[in-house]
Amino acid sequence: MKFLCLECDTAMKFKESKTPEGGSLTAIFECPDCFGEIAMHMNPWETQMLKSLDVQLGGKSESAPPMQMVRSFLSDQKEGTLSSSHTPQPTSPVASDSEEGGRCPFTSVVADAFQAHESEPADLVWTEEAKERLDRIPSFVQSMAKAGIEEFAREKGIAEITGEVMDAARGNFGM
Amino acid sequence: MKTYNDLPNDGGSDIAGQVTRQANRLEERLRSVRYTVAIMSGKGGVGKSSITANVASALAMRGNSVGVLDADINGPSIAKMIGVRGAKVDYGSDGVKPAVSPLGVRVMSMDLFLKDDETPVLWEAQTQKDAFTWRGTMEISALREFLSDTEWGVLDYLLIDLPPGTDRLPNLVDLLPTLGGTVVITIPSEISQLVVKKSLTMATELLNTPVIGLVENMAAYVCADCGRTEDLFPSGNTEEMARQFEVPFLGQIPFDPRISMAADNGNVFVEKYTDTAASHSITEVAQQTESFFHTEYNSQYKQL
Repeated sequence: MKFLCLECDTAMKFKESKTPEGGSLTAIFECPDCFGEIAMHMNPWETQMLKSLDVQLGGKSESAPPMQMVRSFLSDQKEGTLSSSHTPQPTSPVASDSEEGGRCPFTSVVADAFQAHESEPADLVWTEEAKERLDRIPSFVQSMAKAGIEEFAREKGIAEITGEVMDAARGNFGM
Repeated sequence: MKTYNDLPNDGGSDIAGQVTRQANRLEERLRSVRYTVAIMSGKGGVGKSSITANVASALAMRGNSVGVLDADINGPSIAKMIGVRGAKVDYGSDGVKPAVSPLGVRVMSMDLFLKDDETPVLWEAQTQKDAFTWRGTMEISALREFLSDTEWGVLDYLLIDLPPGTDRLPNLVDLLPTLGGTVVITIPSEISQLVVKKSLTMATELLNTPVIGLVENMAAYVCADCGRTEDLFPSGNTEEMARQFEVPFLGQIPFDPRISMAADNGNVFVEKYTDTAASHSITEVAQQTESFFHTEYNSQYKQL
């Protein structure tokens, strides 16, 4: 979801969130030009859906502890299971100024995320020949093969993955 | 007026970025896992969890490092079957440490978090009314956390015990696109096989997930006194079903009440009753799983 200040024709920015009553959530957005604000009120079901996706309005701290969602929202946990001192991070604006457009989180989010990751620039360059060879093997093996070859290349200090590097990596795998 | 695509981001929440980071963390965590295997059926009560616990232990007894993820968030049973019930999970340096069975199998299960036997899995919410709108998503998030926040370490095999339901495999594949293969469990009843066929169609035709093979559980009863074998169900033609779907038939596991008794006592059947027909069959499933990956992956790598 994105919010537009109609007066300024400017994208509004997340300012803060509040949990006023009854499981609802309020997110306040501000126009960076005129400083006008709007409040978006989410009902308890919408709020719960957001929680269940384990995402946070305003951004999520990178240092969130492991199993945060399970520990935060599971009722009646075993005593002494994980340290209670590791409390969930509060919602706080750690806004990213990414130029990437936001997407609705409610559809195929995880699959999209994998695709987004796949398209991220890598420190290694694959030649066209190497890419074609990788594409020839079934998709479920590709990720593992790619990771193995890249690990091999990094260990050897190789920056470009060619057919010869793939052959050497294969030899290294004992294939 | 600017449209949705004209606006550069979502105002600072970076929801897409948060989801991407979740997926990246999961992918990074599983880099040290060689093969991931889903144990599935589609139908309940066919012995998936029991087979998962025993195949995992058989793999460990054959010298592999093995982990088991109990993906049955609402009805977790693996922890008891594999002998780690009551284990305390705690933080490690980079996540949560799994419970470790006497055979060295690393286990993560919701059971390790629940207060007592009677406690169902309930999520904190203002109201549990209309929870169907979000509970499924909560379970998927819990499964993702179990996969990505557990310190699995270096594993040869991570077995994922899926709960009943033909929708479970696609949900797992969404989380784990690099799933190595599935072992499909059935019993020789037509009702079970009706549902299992749907799961096989889902795996082979819709998701294009590699099927390691089909296992027929509770295939027969072996009399403990005379050793005579009697069918428990009318023949379900599981082998024929495997041929129909062009997947390997990994064999039949005879019914042996000691499997259940061992599980109830937190013992692993294949370790305690090594020289029994059921134990041999379970070990055969473990061996064929190893062979699948060794031959399948070798042949795929050779295409490089």
